[in-house]
Amino acid sequence: MDLPLAIDCKGISKRYPHFQLRDIDLSFEQGTVMGLVGPNGAGKSTILRIVMGLLGPDSGSVRVLGHIMPEQQIAAKRNIGFIAEDMRLYESETIAFHMDFIKSIFDSWDDDYANRLLRSFDLNKKQKVKGLSHGQRVKATLLLALARRPSLLVFDEPTTGLDPAVRKEVLDEMMRALEDETRSVLFSSHNTLDIEQISDYITFVYGGRVLESRNKEDFIDGWRRLRLTNANNAPLPNLANIRDIQQSGRLWTIVVNDYDESVPAHFTRAGLEVSVVERLTLEEIFLFNVQFAKSGAQMELA
Amino acid sequence: MPSSIVPQLVGKDLRLMRPIILGFVLVSVVFIAILNLIWGHMPVPVAANLGFIMVIGPAATCGIVILMKTNVFEKEKSTQPFIMSLPITVKEFTRAKLWVNLPVFGLFWLAVSAMAFFFAFGRSLFPLGAVPFVTMVFLGGFVAYSCILSVSLLSQSMPITVLAIALFEVGTSGYLWTIVFLPPIAQHVWGPQAVWNPTALGIVAAQGIVAVTVIAATALIQGTKRDFI
Repeated sequence: MDLPLAIDCKGISKRYPHFQLRDIDLSFEQGTVMGLVGPNGAGKSTILRIVMGLLGPDSGSVRVLGHIMPEQQIAAKRNIGFIAEDMRLYESETIAFHMDFIKSIFDSWDDDYANRLLRSFDLNKKQKVKGLSHGQRVKATLLLALARRPSLLVFDEPTTGLDPAVRKEVLDEMMRALEDETRSVLFSSHNTLDIEQISDYITFVYGGRVLESRNKEDFIDGWRRLRLTNANNAPLPNLANIRDIQQSGRLWTIVVNDYDESVPAHFTRAGLEVSVVERLTLEEIFLFNVQFAKSGAQMELA
Repeated sequence: MPSSIVPQLVGKDLRLMRPIILGFVLVSVVFIAILNLIWGHMPVPVAANLGFIMVIGPAATCGIVILMKTNVFEKEKSTQPFIMSLPITVKEFTRAKLWVNLPVFGLFWLAVSAMAFFFAFGRSLFPLGAVPFVTMVFLGGFVAYSCILSVSLLSQSMPITVLAIALFEVGTSGYLWTIVFLPPIAQHVWGPQAVWNPTALGIVAAQGIVAVTVIAATALIQGTKRDFI
């Protein structure tokens, strides 16, 4: 039997006085991890809140686990664990209070798993939330989301503000949660390292638009930095996929997207010598994407 | 079909509010005991004013504190994303909040109203002619509370709710001052018998209708909200 897509957003738009989400397409299958990368204010949280049914899009359609949002949000949210950076628990209450509360709502609550997470996160369930550090609060929230065994996890900047040790703990537990092959994750962050570590698919968001959305390997494979020697000051070939050009005397550094084996030949034919072809890190790819979007060069090249 | 989680949300809020409710009930009981002890040892106008404050004060404050904590602080303290991540709609969220606030305040208000009637009429502080007006006073308090509850749910804003509290408090006093001087009310208020003339009945019915309409309209408006974080 075909499983419905974990998330299937088509052409969603949302207008605010000073920000607009425009024509967002975002979809991925169940059992995969989609990382949403973008700077602050790019629209990541708005997308996730629309996915959760907490905001209604002005146009477009959203299906989550086959449920139409926000109309069927009750059925959808029975299978979603959501964590947001600005989400808080009740300060005057203990972790146990929250565990009991969530357990009373979800039949799928797994006591053994919850207790294992308590031990693994080194949390004391009798401790009040107001006495927890930021990292402990994030771990408690993650526990509450994971122990109900949802099919889909939606995480909005869960690692923001965490020290490296706690961030690793949180990411490791998220990875462990993914051992169940039908579980899906939509994970937003401006930290490309986190995204690179756990995502199968990556979507770059900037200025309320999706800049690129691809399989992680395709992303990494698709971008290259070429270091060239331009001894004769030859003009560069007019390639639509050039994303950045840096020149230092006769040495040129060109960054290209949609790279294939024919790209170096274009430069060689134009009279440049290709010295090195390097892969980029996801962070570099992200920064070039943002820089390119900012410059508006995409429009000109299109 | 999955069942609604409104009962769990109501239970959660009642559990969170339990110390506050118990505290105010305790204060009320102590105040009523004090009132009972000092009754008859002071002039009637002083006893009436003091009694009114001691009976109404804890109930009204309890109602306001609970609606602030359950409705306004849910947003201000950012616990709302946690709640809204659960299988619930805005409509159900609102239902849960109404099911917490209305019964708690309603029962408290009913108890203090009964107590006030006992002191006012059972101990002959006021003549029976004041029964319709005192009924209007307590119903007026409930209408004001319903309006404040509505504002707190619709806005979830501390400044707006505080402003609503101030406005409805002043407004209710002004409204009660106005109706007590209406001739069909004023001419019987110091009389020996309770007179439920059409004006008195009309005012009481209107108060009941306003309270129910405000609550129903709040639930309806909340149900149309598309953005709730």
